[in-house]
Amino acid sequence: MPVVTLYLSRLQKLVGKVSKDKIISALPFLGLDIEEETDQYIRVEYSPNRPDYATDVGIATGLQGLLGIKKGIAKIIIKRQKDKTYSIKTSPAVKKIRPFVLGLVAKDGKLDDEIIRQLIALQEDLHFGVGRKRKKASIGIHDLDKITLPLLYTAKSKDHKFVPLATNHSMSVTQILDTLETGKEYSAILGNGANVPMILDSKENTVSFPPIINSALTTVSTSTKNLLVEVTGNDPGAVADTLAVVASALQGLGFTLHDFKTDSKSSADSIKMRTIILDPNLVSQTLGLELSPVQICNMLKKCRLDAMVKNKKISCTVPSYRFDIFGPMDLVEEVALGYGIQNLSTTLPSSTSVGQKSKTTLKLDQLSQIMLGLGFTEALNSSLTSKQTLYDNTKRDSSKLIEVAESKSQEHTVLRDSIIPGLLENLSKNIHEQYPQKLFESGIVFSTGSPIKESICLACVSAHKDSGYTEIKSILQSLLKTDSNIECQTKTSQNTMFAKGKTADVIVNNKKIGIIGEIDSGVIENFKIRVPVSGFELILTDFLL
Amino acid sequence: MSQVLHPIEKTIIKLLQSEKNLTELQIMEKAKLSMDQTRRGIEWLRLKNLAIVEESEKFFLTLGKNGIAANTDGLPERKLVNLVSNASVPFDDLRKKLLDDMNVAIANAKKNDWITITKNESGSIVSLKSKPDQTSEEKILAAIGHNKIPQDDIKDTLALESLKKRPDYIILESVKTRTLSLSEQAKSIDVDAADSGAIDVEADVPRVYAARTHPLKDTINEIREIFVSLGFSEISGSLTQPGFWNFDALFTPQDHPAREMQDTFYIKDKLASNFATASQINQVSASHKKGWKYPWNVDVAKKMVLRTHTTCVTINYLAENKPSEARVFSLGRVFRNEKVSYKHLVEFNQVEGIVVGKNVSLRDLMGIQTQFYKKLGLNKIKFWPTFFPYTEPSLQTMVYNEKLDKWIELFGMGIFRPEVTRPFGITRPVLAWGGGIERIAMLKYGLDDVREFYNNNLSWLRSTPKCQ
Repeated sequence: MPVVTLYLSRLQKLVGKVSKDKIISALPFLGLDIEEETDQYIRVEYSPNRPDYATDVGIATGLQGLLGIKKGIAKIIIKRQKDKTYSIKTSPAVKKIRPFVLGLVAKDGKLDDEIIRQLIALQEDLHFGVGRKRKKASIGIHDLDKITLPLLYTAKSKDHKFVPLATNHSMSVTQILDTLETGKEYSAILGNGANVPMILDSKENTVSFPPIINSALTTVSTSTKNLLVEVTGNDPGAVADTLAVVASALQGLGFTLHDFKTDSKSSADSIKMRTIILDPNLVSQTLGLELSPVQICNMLKKCRLDAMVKNKKISCTVPSYRFDIFGPMDLVEEVALGYGIQNLSTTLPSSTSVGQKSKTTLKLDQLSQIMLGLGFTEALNSSLTSKQTLYDNTKRDSSKLIEVAESKSQEHTVLRDSIIPGLLENLSKNIHEQYPQKLFESGIVFSTGSPIKESICLACVSAHKDSGYTEIKSILQSLLKTDSNIECQTKTSQNTMFAKGKTADVIVNNKKIGIIGEIDSGVIENFKIRVPVSGFELILTDFLL
Repeated sequence: MSQVLHPIEKTIIKLLQSEKNLTELQIMEKAKLSMDQTRRGIEWLRLKNLAIVEESEKFFLTLGKNGIAANTDGLPERKLVNLVSNASVPFDDLRKKLLDDMNVAIANAKKNDWITITKNESGSIVSLKSKPDQTSEEKILAAIGHNKIPQDDIKDTLALESLKKRPDYIILESVKTRTLSLSEQAKSIDVDAADSGAIDVEADVPRVYAARTHPLKDTINEIREIFVSLGFSEISGSLTQPGFWNFDALFTPQDHPAREMQDTFYIKDKLASNFATASQINQVSASHKKGWKYPWNVDVAKKMVLRTHTTCVTINYLAENKPSEARVFSLGRVFRNEKVSYKHLVEFNQVEGIVVGKNVSLRDLMGIQTQFYKKLGLNKIKFWPTFFPYTEPSLQTMVYNEKLDKWIELFGMGIFRPEVTRPFGITRPVLAWGGGIERIAMLKYGLDDVREFYNNNLSWLRSTPKCQ
């Protein structure tokens, strides 16, 4: 989850006449988790579906609503242009690579280091979330006064050269993709074509190489007054949503917004409010709270939305940057936030239902009790384990192993098809503890099916200097007899994990339900265990369950 | 003080009840014990304040090399008087006979007034004054002879001191003796009657360990019991799931970051078939296209993953049963492709409960939560808004932990989004909540490293009490 740093005195100025304590205690009720709190600043975690909370301006807007300082939508005002200077023309060549573009001009603002830091953070969060790692949308923010409008969004060959941001020498596109961090990370988005997207100004200076990097020419600094924002991407919705969030933040920071035209659309057209009709019954049913339509409207306004009663329903207007709102149910949550979660008292639904554990749980509980009575302590191992433990150390056949892709942990790459290897691993890590050591575990094992078969197994191992086949067969007999009055047979068999001549299949009603034996001395050596070990494993699915 | 007496102790007490004082050696001989047994018995009795041990030091005398020689040949002065007993002998002749003893012999004989020395032109001449009797020193030498005798037996201490001054005449040896007597309490013990068959019940004994369930399993069982007691029935599902049930059915778009391999475990070379009905697939596809505006791809939904939450079991249950009323829960392992650390595991346990009903509300959900936590012994809780992709509204529970003196985030909850329920024809509200169990178990067992649960360290398993 993304995190934003809020400087308290700045935030207080933005919110208005409220004490810092009141601000801090209201933050969680916006859905913000406090990560760190000092006298100067607070770090809060916000949900990626609310990128408007990536800046303190956005959070201040929310706080004003909850604290009753300002209500209703903080409208985004975009000044329309008469001429077509603020515009970008899209050449057909780029439409196959990264088709969509929108822009915006923000004028007469003041930038300081903190605001620049926040804008960069906002940009990164939008790139990651809505932008899906810059694939669906990416943003470039430029110093408008370094640019000669109008712009051209076009495709250029990989030999095209310019001075990229934060460097001081001209580089070709190929060099940028091969050497710069963002080039290496995002080049895959561009595919394998010969050309890449490029934004040029009317003097043919490179402004931006989306979605990789801006040009050094248009670098924004604390002396920048006027900004140009361009958003490009593969998804028109994501491009518009992204622009809306940036527009709302820039307006909050004191900039005046001016319309910017593309071939088909203007930014003012794309940053539009939506209307959703909310049935007050849905609110009262969902929240368990009787609220009048007027009260509901008031709650919605506290969440910086507009609302009014219309034919006993509520007509709610949602600003474009609130793309987390899909429909009426999302508005119900807004009503709850406006009401204040802390003000919701709890109730209990009436019920006559009788609870019950699953059959599997009941059976495993019973088997556990018997194993405990037989002196075995319960172990718990991961079902995702390593090939080393599961197959190499136990000399078992690994030809049907089930593997996961790209595990971050070498010890967790293969799904277990047997429990005993994990128990042997446990014994090997406890060789300095008092013997006898007797362990059991029940759990799920995996085998190839359609596509994967999951079975519930129970296994145990007994390790001590006199451990042997007779002891473990006695345990097996006692377990099955005590549990279900079952008599089992053990039929000579072979299994590489067990010693030759000291292993058998466990047979019940002419069906094999498990394996039993003394662990092979080579296997014991592989696990660096110093005493004999015997054990058994039963597949309970289709047999006891 | 222990009332139990060991047979050795009893024997010694019996002896001393008739003999009053006995040395270690005497006890050993009379009780027919080994020295080691005797010493141990004495020590036990002393520690129990049943016997008084007095240590005394006694000195013994034996003759040294010169003493032995003097006992047979006489002291130097005796040799001298023997030489002059018949006639006076010149000094020089005596020196030739007495050699090194000459000076001592002359000095002592003169001191005893046995001889006179006269001088003429040729030198000094020694003559006997009177034939002496046996001296005290000679008597001592004779008394010791070849034996070792207590120093106290020699009454003439002056003569003894004088002998001791002569080189290698007398060897003094110190012997420490422990003498035992009974304390008043022990004198009255009826040894034969006391404690027949009793053992020392206060002594340490070897440790044994009860076979036990895994501590994490105890917490899992506790939580399961709470759900059952609140009227919930257990449902279960597979750990391996098609992406469809783990993600798509829960309105998670196919390009969502959580679906990437770096967060979710995909099973190599496994694709699901027959995982849902055609209608279920169509409805989910339509819901994604409408809500997220992208071309939903059934092939992505076929990819098998290790479930990232138990919610896939819940939604599958709802889709199959379409209950109008339900209280069910599922509990089991879930997986995340994370780096293992003190706070993250790749595989952990999660529990999730749902309530389906005609008029169930968010306040009901909060009420059930409050009951659940109360049963876990957590009384101080509050609710904060949060975000989950498949519930709306969504809340999280904050629980106050006294040990850590802070609010801790525990289970999440919410009402399933219409985009999730509608494709499966579920029209009534579904209240859902759940979370990780290890987190609760860590608080319970005071652990700060979650890996401890899966280390199966026997010393930890054997020493962790059931009640925390």
